[in-house]
Amino acid sequence: MRLTTRAAILFMLPAFVLYATFIVFPTLRGIGLSFTDAQGVVGGNFVGLDNYVRLFGDPAVLSALLNTLVFAVIVTVGQNVLALALAYWLQSLPRLQAIARAGILLPSMMAFIAVGFVWNFIYSPIDGPLDSVMNAVGLRGLEHIWLGDPTTALTAVAVTNIWMYMGYSATIYLAGYFAIPENIMEAAKIDGATGWARFRTVDWPLLAPALTINVTLTTIGSLRVFDPILVMTGGGPGNATQSLSYLVYTNTTQFQFGYATAIAVVLLVLTVIVAITQTTIFRRREIEW
Amino acid sequence: MVKVKQSISGVLLIVVTVLVLLPILLVIVNSFRTNHSLAVSPIGLPTSLDLSNFGYVITHMNFFRGVGISTLITASSVALILLIGSAASWAIARTTRRWASGVYRLFIAGLTIPVFVMATPLYLEALQLGLLNNLVAVILVYTAFNMPFAVFFYTSFLRSVPQELEEAAAIDGCGPLRTYWHIILPMLRPSSAAMAVFIAISIWNDVTVPLLLLDSQDVQPLTLSIYSFVGTEGGIQQSQLFPAVLLATLPLFILFLVFQRYIVAGISAGVGK
Repeated sequence: MRLTTRAAILFMLPAFVLYATFIVFPTLRGIGLSFTDAQGVVGGNFVGLDNYVRLFGDPAVLSALLNTLVFAVIVTVGQNVLALALAYWLQSLPRLQAIARAGILLPSMMAFIAVGFVWNFIYSPIDGPLDSVMNAVGLRGLEHIWLGDPTTALTAVAVTNIWMYMGYSATIYLAGYFAIPENIMEAAKIDGATGWARFRTVDWPLLAPALTINVTLTTIGSLRVFDPILVMTGGGPGNATQSLSYLVYTNTTQFQFGYATAIAVVLLVLTVIVAITQTTIFRRREIEW
Repeated sequence: MVKVKQSISGVLLIVVTVLVLLPILLVIVNSFRTNHSLAVSPIGLPTSLDLSNFGYVITHMNFFRGVGISTLITASSVALILLIGSAASWAIARTTRRWASGVYRLFIAGLTIPVFVMATPLYLEALQLGLLNNLVAVILVYTAFNMPFAVFFYTSFLRSVPQELEEAAAIDGCGPLRTYWHIILPMLRPSSAAMAVFIAISIWNDVTVPLLLLDSQDVQPLTLSIYSFVGTEGGIQQSQLFPAVLLATLPLFILFLVFQRYIVAGISAGVGK
């Protein structure tokens, strides 16, 4: 039905007003604030690039930037590899599909704020569940203060994150499998392609749309990691698990508005660059059928 | 031979699924155990069903108030998103002008903006306008935050369906408002169901917006209740941690079991049929 321009605008108006008020305006204001020395509601004088100069010399920001990137890489690679393997497994067992998918999807329904505490307990040093299990299977000596050691803390948080969301990614890959026309799978079977050979030549190229969505979602999601840091480590030990989002949050609650928004802008630029690069690369390998 | 391999593979898959669920099982089992038994061994079965910790958690975490506030915020936001989002998407999908695709792209751009870019300005605005601890403000913020996803989801669906029904309605003298209400909204019902469950989960589990905009005890949703109960009271005992986690996640477990089909549909959207 052809809508008159007036009717179309009226229908868009409520969504647009809310979006402009709570997304567009705050984003622009945030970018504006990042060029000021605003602290709380006072200050707010234009200081040019001072905040940006300061943050690129700030060890807390630099380690947060590095941690955020490392976290994003671990989560994106780990989660997608595991999810793809799970989806491959699930599609080969149609009768167990629904129940197994429900099981692995369940963790992603829980609030990280609640789950994080459980994993703090699992990782807890001195006879925590993880250490107990490792002792029981003969890995005594490898027990560890998982969240208290700067070398393992970030990975431990990433593992929890992967545990939570790999079922989510697997569900997307499985939907990708369902989207592959049956005659293609039949043809592969007739040609004798099974296992790894079929995965490499048939599944992998045809799962391209699911891969694009999954990789983009996990990357964008993990670049803005916040809840896991808040619950599990608070950025510590030292700066070992400090993330950009978490730094924005702590600076905001300390009323360092100018500085906080400058860090947020760095996060925004990083996210946009990564998202555009990924989409361009991954879309190119998607094929039509 | 193939049959045997399939069976082994099936058994292994169940084992792996149980392994994935192990932390959740740990929560369930441990919430019935006492401090003493937890101290003796972190993994183990309860010797007797101890429900006292649930009572403690329900009163001290203010469980029912948390559930009430979370439900209010989530339900209102989802209703607004579905209504406002579908109206805008219909207008976008049925307007072929250049400016309409510009509006569409502006909405879509919101998908990549990390919430923390808006965090400081939103907090500052709420502070200046006296909107801290205002639930209506939180609901509107969530509605706006989810608008890019809603517009993306509805528009791609609406662009793929024929317009004959709407045109027939127009010939019968239906104005845009009646067409929207009687034709479009019912037609979008399956999409709306998938999206509603999906968005509801993300809002229910969110902690960022409440952390920024709700600092008073009286308006804390469930996520903040558990965070302040476990995280900041510090000295809570392990036997109280597990009932707290279980209670805080229980509403979503139920939602998941009932609406699993829609949740899967919501997650799979975009991959195509």
